[in-house]
Amino acid sequence: MQSIINSIFKYRNLIIYIALSFLIFNNLYNKSSIHYTQFGRLGLYVSAKTSNFSYNLNSFLNLKEENSRLLDENLKLLQNKSLFIGYNKFDSLNSSNVLTNANIILNSTNKNKNIMVIDKGKKDGVEKEMGVITVNGVVGIIKNITENYSSVISVLNTDLKINAILKNTSTIGSISWDGNNSKIVNLNDIPLSNSLKIGDTVVTGGMSFYFPKGIPIGEILDYKNQTQNGYYEIDVSLFNDFSSLSNIYILSRFDNEEIKNLIYE
Amino acid sequence: MNREIIKNIIFGLLIILSQILIFNHINLLGISSPSVYIILFILYKTNYDKTLLIILGFLIGIIMDLSMQTYGCHTFASLTVCFFKKWVENYSFGVNSNLPNAMVKGTSLTNRFTYFIIITLLHSLLYFILLYFNSELLLTILLSTLFNSIITFIIIWIISNLIIEK
Repeated sequence: MQSIINSIFKYRNLIIYIALSFLIFNNLYNKSSIHYTQFGRLGLYVSAKTSNFSYNLNSFLNLKEENSRLLDENLKLLQNKSLFIGYNKFDSLNSSNVLTNANIILNSTNKNKNIMVIDKGKKDGVEKEMGVITVNGVVGIIKNITENYSSVISVLNTDLKINAILKNTSTIGSISWDGNNSKIVNLNDIPLSNSLKIGDTVVTGGMSFYFPKGIPIGEILDYKNQTQNGYYEIDVSLFNDFSSLSNIYILSRFDNEEIKNLIYE
Repeated sequence: MNREIIKNIIFGLLIILSQILIFNHINLLGISSPSVYIILFILYKTNYDKTLLIILGFLIGIIMDLSMQTYGCHTFASLTVCFFKKWVENYSFGVNSNLPNAMVKGTSLTNRFTYFIIITLLHSLLYFILLYFNSELLLTILLSTLFNSIITFIIIWIISNLIIEK
């Protein structure tokens, strides 16, 4: 015991130095957005490198299962001929929207702010704030990128809000997650004056640069119309099962300089 | 002894005040505002307590960060300078480094020069690395470091010589 106290006393300067440095970096991470982003990039790099190993092992072990899933997906595509639900007369999502496909190498559904890591990065043309989807529907938006990897804010993140509409009535609302059930999200801002029924499909609204109009999100599971504020409280069950995602598609952003000039004028 | 402490405290307060009121507002070529307050760490006598110096460095750094809105860049730079001061002293003064007044009085010019320049360079380098915090801006970091430490060095050199004259 005496020797422990002695050694603490001997190295007190080092201990104080490390403790205070930790305090400073903690402060930098929390208060300064530049440092937050850079630390985020570093964290993404480290977690991507480490997860890549376990992903390789897992993908080898799951080959059989994965194969059958891909066969199913292929069949579905052949049956539908078109990838996505055509919302308008013209299908808003054509093949030029899809930038590339990617594999998820790190995924979580049990946190409040879920983030995925995928194996495509700057090298493959991925940019910040691109939309991410699967054949079943919306997954999230690209958050950070490094040379070979990117992180995705999934729909199951309390920070993300996605512009959405009801497929039948075109009423505009927004999708957000309350952090509870990984299969259910909330649809907000639909006024009580609209009529809706359980089973209605919710699709993206196209009022952002991330997703074109008409990509499926989920279907209405339940709703409450006894609220005080004049809006429905709607539970939407997601088409995607986030716990078993593996292949995703990245959409290119469809804003350009001309639109940006209009917005930031 | 008491008189010396009071003198040191007054000197410290003067330097901190002049840093906040004058030097923080000097903005040479848009990049450099000299960190004159590190003269306090340079002139901190070798026979004083090292632990106190580290805590002082932290506190003074916080004051600078609050006055310049830099979220901890000054604090980390001055904390690290205080922590490594012992090694810098050993390197630049050699056998004389354990003399109580070793930093300014009765030492050869080259030793003093090395000592001052290492401390200012280390401080500026750490400060700008943390401020920009991006490997793509390496050239900017190095240039700002060089420019800022030269300005800082000149001012510190003048002030320390003025003090010795007394």
